[in-house]
Amino acid sequence: MKKLILALFISLAFLLSFTPNIFAEEGVTDTEIHLGQWGPQTGPAAAWGNVARGTGGYFQWINENGGIHGRKIVYHMFDDGYNPAKTKAGVKELQEGTGIFAWACGVGTSPGLAVRDYLAEKNIPWVGPAAGSMHWITPPQKNLFAVYPLYIAEAKALVKYAIEKMGKKRIAIAYLNDEYGKNGLRGAISELKAHGMEAVAQVPMEAKDSDLKPHVMQLRKSKADMVLMWTTVGHSARIVGISKAMQFAPQFMSTSTTSDFPFMMHITKGLWEGVITGTFGELPDSGYPLLEKYKKEVFDKYAAKEERWGMFYYAGIIFTEPMIEGLKNCGRNLTRERFIAEMEKIKGFKGIGPEVSYKPFDKNDIYSRQGTSQTFLVQCMAEGKAKKLTDWMDIK
Amino acid sequence: MIDFIQMIVSGIAVGSSYALMGLAMVIIYKTSEVPNFAQGEMALITSFFAMMMLTTFNMPVYIAFFLAFVFAVALGCFLEFAILRRAKEPNVLGMIVITIGIEMVLLGFVSWKFGADQKVMPFPIGPYDSFIIGDIFIGKLELLTLVTALLLMIILFLFFKYSKIGLAVKATQQNSVAAKIVGIRTNRILMMTWGISSLVGAVAGLLISPVMMHPYMMWDPMLKGFAAAVMGGMTSLPGAVVAAYMLGIIEHLFGGYISIEFKSVVAFVIIVAVLCIKPSGLFARHYVKKV
Repeated sequence: MKKLILALFISLAFLLSFTPNIFAEEGVTDTEIHLGQWGPQTGPAAAWGNVARGTGGYFQWINENGGIHGRKIVYHMFDDGYNPAKTKAGVKELQEGTGIFAWACGVGTSPGLAVRDYLAEKNIPWVGPAAGSMHWITPPQKNLFAVYPLYIAEAKALVKYAIEKMGKKRIAIAYLNDEYGKNGLRGAISELKAHGMEAVAQVPMEAKDSDLKPHVMQLRKSKADMVLMWTTVGHSARIVGISKAMQFAPQFMSTSTTSDFPFMMHITKGLWEGVITGTFGELPDSGYPLLEKYKKEVFDKYAAKEERWGMFYYAGIIFTEPMIEGLKNCGRNLTRERFIAEMEKIKGFKGIGPEVSYKPFDKNDIYSRQGTSQTFLVQCMAEGKAKKLTDWMDIK
Repeated sequence: MIDFIQMIVSGIAVGSSYALMGLAMVIIYKTSEVPNFAQGEMALITSFFAMMMLTTFNMPVYIAFFLAFVFAVALGCFLEFAILRRAKEPNVLGMIVITIGIEMVLLGFVSWKFGADQKVMPFPIGPYDSFIIGDIFIGKLELLTLVTALLLMIILFLFFKYSKIGLAVKATQQNSVAAKIVGIRTNRILMMTWGISSLVGAVAGLLISPVMMHPYMMWDPMLKGFAAAVMGGMTSLPGAVVAAYMLGIIEHLFGGYISIEFKSVVAFVIIVAVLCIKPSGLFARHYVKKV
C-alpha cells in the first residue's frame, strides 16, 4: 500500500512539474509568443522579400514597447525563395520543431497554397497572407484571416475605372499563367462582361519567360487602348519597356504588387510614369499620421541600412496589424481558440491599410474570413511620386 | 506580312544572346566533352562584378567592362585549375555534377553578396532604345548583341581552325594522351578554353544586364544556349550560332501563330526532335577513328 501511495505521489509530482506545458498553448509561454513567417529573400519574387522584413521591424517595435500583455514576440522568419516545396518544409520544421502559435503574412499564392491545408488541419491561425487570392476564402477556413484585398476585386476596380472614367474601349490583359495571374484575369473579364465588353486580347506568360516581344506583339496587334498587367514585377517592367520600343502606347494598368513606384521607376528607367495600379495601403508620402509614426519608430530604428521605405516594406505591417489587434484583445489568456474568437470580433479596424472586419465563421460567407474589400487607385508620376486617383473603394 | 517580318527580326535579335551562351558551352565541350552547367552563373557573377565596378567604384563603362572581361577569364581559368582539374579519375557524369555544384555555389554567392532585388546596369544604350524601319522595330541593344555574336563567332571560328592553339584544342579533344605525347600541354589548353568560354558567356551576361539583373537572369539564356548547342551538334561553333538563331525565330513564329502559352517549351521539343532524328546534331562532323 505504501508503495502504491509513493508511486502515486511521484506520478503526481511528475505531472505537476509539467503542468504549465501541458495546459499552455503551443508557441506561447509566460514571456513569449512565437510567430512565424516565410518570405522570398532570394528567387524570382525577391522584390517582395521586404514584406517579411517589415513585419520583423514591426514586431521589434512592439517588443520594445512592452510586448503584448507582458509577452515578447519571438519572430521566426525563413527564406522560401518563392518555392512552395521550401515553404512547406520550412513551415513544418518550425511548427513541429519550435512550435509556432500563429503564422503571419507569407508572400505568394503558390507558397501559401502549399501550407494552407496543413495549417487548417491543425487549426493553426494564419493572418494576412500577402496575396489577394480567392484560395484563402473558397471555402473560408476557420484558422485563416485574409487582409489583402482580393486580386479579383482589384482587377475589377481597375477595369471599371478604365471604362467609366477614362473611356477606354479596347482592353487587353497580360497575365502570369498561374493562380495569381488568373485571379486578376477573372476579375477583369467579369468587369468587362458587366459592361457588355470582351477583352481584345488575353496574353499569358510563364514566370521564367524573359523574352516578351511575342507577347507585346500580340498586345499591339489587338490595338488595345488599355493593357492590364497581372504579372511579376520584372515582366511588367519589360512589357512597358518593349511597348515603348515598339511605339505601342496604351494606358497601362497593373496590380498592387507593382505599386512600389520608386522601385518600378528605377527598374524601367522612368518608363513606369503614367501607369495606374491598385493599392492596399496609404501612400508613402501621404502624411498619414500612423504611417509617419511607423516610418519614424519602426523603419528608421529597426530597418537595415540598405532597406528602402516603400509600400512593400510596410505591407509587412499592414498585413499583421489586425493580428496584433487580435492578440491584444485576448489579454493574458492566450489560446488559439481565444485568438480566433477575438479576430472574429474585429470590426472596422483601421491601421495603415484598408478597413478590416471579420465575422463569426460561416463556411458560406467568404467575408467571414476576407477582412476587406477595399482598394484605391494610384498613378505613378515623375520621380516615382504617386497621385491618388480615387478614395478607398468597396469592390465586391 | 509586317508581323511575320517583325517576328523574324525579333527572333534573330533574341537568338543572339542564345548564340553567345551556346558558343560558350561549345568551346568547353570541344575540349573536355563536358557540358558546363555553370556557364550561366559564371556570366552572372561577371555581370554583377561589372555592376559593382560601375556603381560602387563609379568607373566608366569601358574600364568596368574591361575589368569584367579580365575577371571572367580569371574565373574560368581558376575554376578549371582549382576544381575541375582536382577531380579524381573523373568521368563525364562526375564532371557534369561538379559543374552543377559550381553553378549552385556561384548563384548562392551572388544572391548573398548582391541581394536578390531586380536591378538594371547603367549602360550607354538604353534597354528599350530602338530603331524603327517602316513598322519593324529592332532594339539597339539587340542589334549590338547580334553584331557581337556574329563577330565573336567569326573570331573564334578562325582561331580554332587556323591558329596553332586551335589545332592543339582539337588534338586535346580527339586524343588527349596522344596530344600530350606530341608535347601539347593539355592542362593548359583546358584551362585556356575555360577562360575563353567564360569570357564569351560574360559578353552575353553584360549585354543582358542593362535590361534586368537578378540572380536568376541567366537561366533562360543558358538553357536556350544549351539547347542551341545541342541542336548544332555541341562541337560546331557555327552550328551553335545558326541553331540559336533558328531557335529564336521558331520560338517567335510559334508564339505568334500557334500558341503563346507553349512558346517557352518549343525549344525543348525541338531538341528532342533533333536528337531523335539526327542525334549528332544538325551541324556536327564527328571525328571518327580509323582502324
